[in-house]
Amino acid sequence: MAMGFGKYVLYRVVNGVIILFLAVLLMSALFTKLATIQLTTQVDSEVQQWVRGYTQTHHQAPSKELIEQYRAQRMHYYALDQPYWKRTWMYTIDTFFFKWGKSIPTVFGTHDVKDQIKTALGRTILLFTTSEIIIILLGIALGVKSAQIPGSLLDRTISILAMVTTSLPMWWLGMLMILVFVVYLDWLPITLYSQTAVSGWSNILKKMSLPVFTIVLVSFGGWAWNIRNIMIGTMQEDFIMVARAKGVPERKVIYGHALKASSPPIITMVIFGMIGSLSGAIITEIVFNWPGMGRLYWEALQLNAVRTMMALNYIFAFLTVFSMVLADILYGYLDPRVRVGAAARS
Amino acid sequence: MRWVDFKDSVKRFWSEYKHQKSGMVGLALLIILVGLALAAPYITSHDIPEKWQTGQAWMTNPKNAPPSWENYFTSVSKAPQKTFTVHDMQVKSEKNGSMKVYTLTFTYNMRYDVPPKDIVLTGLTSNASRPQDAPKVSITVQRPPEKGVKYGTLTLLSETPLPTGGALQLAYTPQVKTLLFYWLYENGVYQLPMQIPPQLPMEMRLMYLNQQLQMNNTLYGYYQSADPMRILFGQITDGKGHLLPLEKIIYESSGLQGPYKFTVTIKAPSYVDVNLDKFEVAMVGRTYGLLGTDQMGRPIAIGLLWGTRVAIAIGLSVAVSTVLIGVLIGVTSAYLGGWADEFIQRFTEFMMSLPVLPMLILLSLYFGGRISLTQLVFILVLFGWMGTAKVARSMALQIKEQTYIEAARALGAGTGRIVFRHMVPQLLPYAFANIALSVPGAILNEAGLSFLGLTNPNIISWGQMLNAAHQNGATLNGYWWQVIPPGLAIALVGFVFVLIGVSLDTVLNPRLKRA
Repeated sequence: MAMGFGKYVLYRVVNGVIILFLAVLLMSALFTKLATIQLTTQVDSEVQQWVRGYTQTHHQAPSKELIEQYRAQRMHYYALDQPYWKRTWMYTIDTFFFKWGKSIPTVFGTHDVKDQIKTALGRTILLFTTSEIIIILLGIALGVKSAQIPGSLLDRTISILAMVTTSLPMWWLGMLMILVFVVYLDWLPITLYSQTAVSGWSNILKKMSLPVFTIVLVSFGGWAWNIRNIMIGTMQEDFIMVARAKGVPERKVIYGHALKASSPPIITMVIFGMIGSLSGAIITEIVFNWPGMGRLYWEALQLNAVRTMMALNYIFAFLTVFSMVLADILYGYLDPRVRVGAAARS
Repeated sequence: MRWVDFKDSVKRFWSEYKHQKSGMVGLALLIILVGLALAAPYITSHDIPEKWQTGQAWMTNPKNAPPSWENYFTSVSKAPQKTFTVHDMQVKSEKNGSMKVYTLTFTYNMRYDVPPKDIVLTGLTSNASRPQDAPKVSITVQRPPEKGVKYGTLTLLSETPLPTGGALQLAYTPQVKTLLFYWLYENGVYQLPMQIPPQLPMEMRLMYLNQQLQMNNTLYGYYQSADPMRILFGQITDGKGHLLPLEKIIYESSGLQGPYKFTVTIKAPSYVDVNLDKFEVAMVGRTYGLLGTDQMGRPIAIGLLWGTRVAIAIGLSVAVSTVLIGVLIGVTSAYLGGWADEFIQRFTEFMMSLPVLPMLILLSLYFGGRISLTQLVFILVLFGWMGTAKVARSMALQIKEQTYIEAARALGAGTGRIVFRHMVPQLLPYAFANIALSVPGAILNEAGLSFLGLTNPNIISWGQMLNAAHQNGATLNGYWWQVIPPGLAIALVGFVFVLIGVSLDTVLNPRLKRA
């Protein structure tokens, strides 16, 4: 039973939305618990403040009933008078439909969660998406080159580089870069990495240089190696042999036939890479003092800004599900056999 | 699969694996690493994990000291750590009236431009119950001969009580500094407005000196900024018999190289038992051992060695569990098919959609912020099995169509038997390669969580060491020995497993073989 492309897309999207919703449900169940502790202390401090204010204006302490009344009002305001499951549900719905509200502590200079994320996202795109583009271009170029002559010097170098860099912590390499280029060689001023904020485009570009270099260095080897493996797999197919036998020039065989045939997995990798870059990297951003998405999550965690953390988790999950669905759809578009497989349920 | 078949296939596999150069290198390195991990308690000592967090155990060590071999690469040589135990000293004991007097002598050969940072006395125990009974320690030092110096011998410490379990850090003992300034005064390095009457008892002379030092602003400034060790081990003449000005001695002194004879006198009332067995005098180095120390004085080399245990334990247990669980789930899902398969697949996708590091952070908060090793393994397995499950399912789908599975079903074999006896064994080669390849990821995750300070600080792991380094600002301060070794170790262990994994993959999956 073959499925129409439209129906296939719809099936995938609905599927993705359900998975995302369940993920948010689980996360908000976890976060509601954290939030309860935090909101209770918030209510306590608000009540205390109110009692102090009341005592000053009325020249006498408020009665017990009045305090309880005020407390109940605040509890209602923060919805603490609702049962746990109901608050979890409300929180899930709010988060899912992008009503992220305000965080109690100030993170990145504002209470508004959307503003916090907007600031952080811009900076993360600046750093990580730029790096990702460099990685993809470098990876494809080197991967295709080394697939042409398997076992060559370039091929072996890339294999070894890929093996070494997959086991290398990116953030540690970052620490090393700072040590070498900032502390010992003194090429960049130390203030760029000892503090978060920098002003002026030239300084921002300078601050970007080391992290971009680090991220590219850690990732391009693995990328090139993956492309190489995909390409070698394709080059062993019969149609490449036919093309060669027909006398198609080698250049055209590689870029016209093999690369085109390998494009579905490569496009998937590109999508996952590009979308994945939007999440930033928590530890690398801490090491470089880069105020992006990862650092926002870390600061929110330290300040107990539950709503910010929840919204960020939602975005991370959203990006993952989105890229999964997009990859599935693209696969289905480029390779119609996949669609049949998805529909064939025994 | 029968035992004979199994043995046969292992043999065949080994004969092919033997020819994988990188795989054999990886295997050799792995054996060395496992050996080091197992030997760690015997090379160092068993109680390192208990001592690791307590500052006392490392008190005699310098803080943030670079490795000793750094001296070979710099023009200025810095003193390394040197500890004198009782066995390195000559011990004499005698009775002097109602007092017991122990005299310990040893010679420290100072051959460095920059002298030790401190001298620390530890390990003296006694059964003294009252504070006034505590053994009293005095130290005199005979410096190497220096032309133009009247008094080559000086008193460094005079009758200072050292209670049981206590320690004396001479560089931070005010009396030591005063005595050194007295010695400089005696040698005529500087003058005082009023001479100290020599007939006064020593204590009075010191008080006199202190008063005059505090009244004179310049002198007092020198006194405040002086490093006692640089005076003790420094030149006070220009080498031609002329005394240097005080300013030069304090700020620009270079080390006076040669033998320093230390005489430590311990006095105690005769009814007090003094135990000298563990008595130690540590010349706290400006450099330390193989890999230097961190901000608590803990040797990096020891942390590195013990970290091997955690890395291999975490790496292997997480990798084995995730891959086995992943294979089981994948195969079951493929074999059952239909709604069960659909459900398992959606669940796998659900787990994949959860962001890994944020969820790890969140879960470790739920376990109380500082999680133990077992909890860490549990969390890493919980978020690690999905990739394997997906691949295992797609491989199992192919196996499922094979005729022998059909035959087994026709013979009446149950689900469990088919999955475990016929399908899982087919996937084992893939599983082995995958186990090796997922070890680095597990180690990286552990390092990341430890770096963020979310694991139990009593675990000695490389991530914890990097966390300490980051807290210490090691990168910006240029303490390279705190940053580079743990990261290199992580990379090395990861690399070893990748080498093994890729070789396994090449043997078991010939499509990727190099042409």
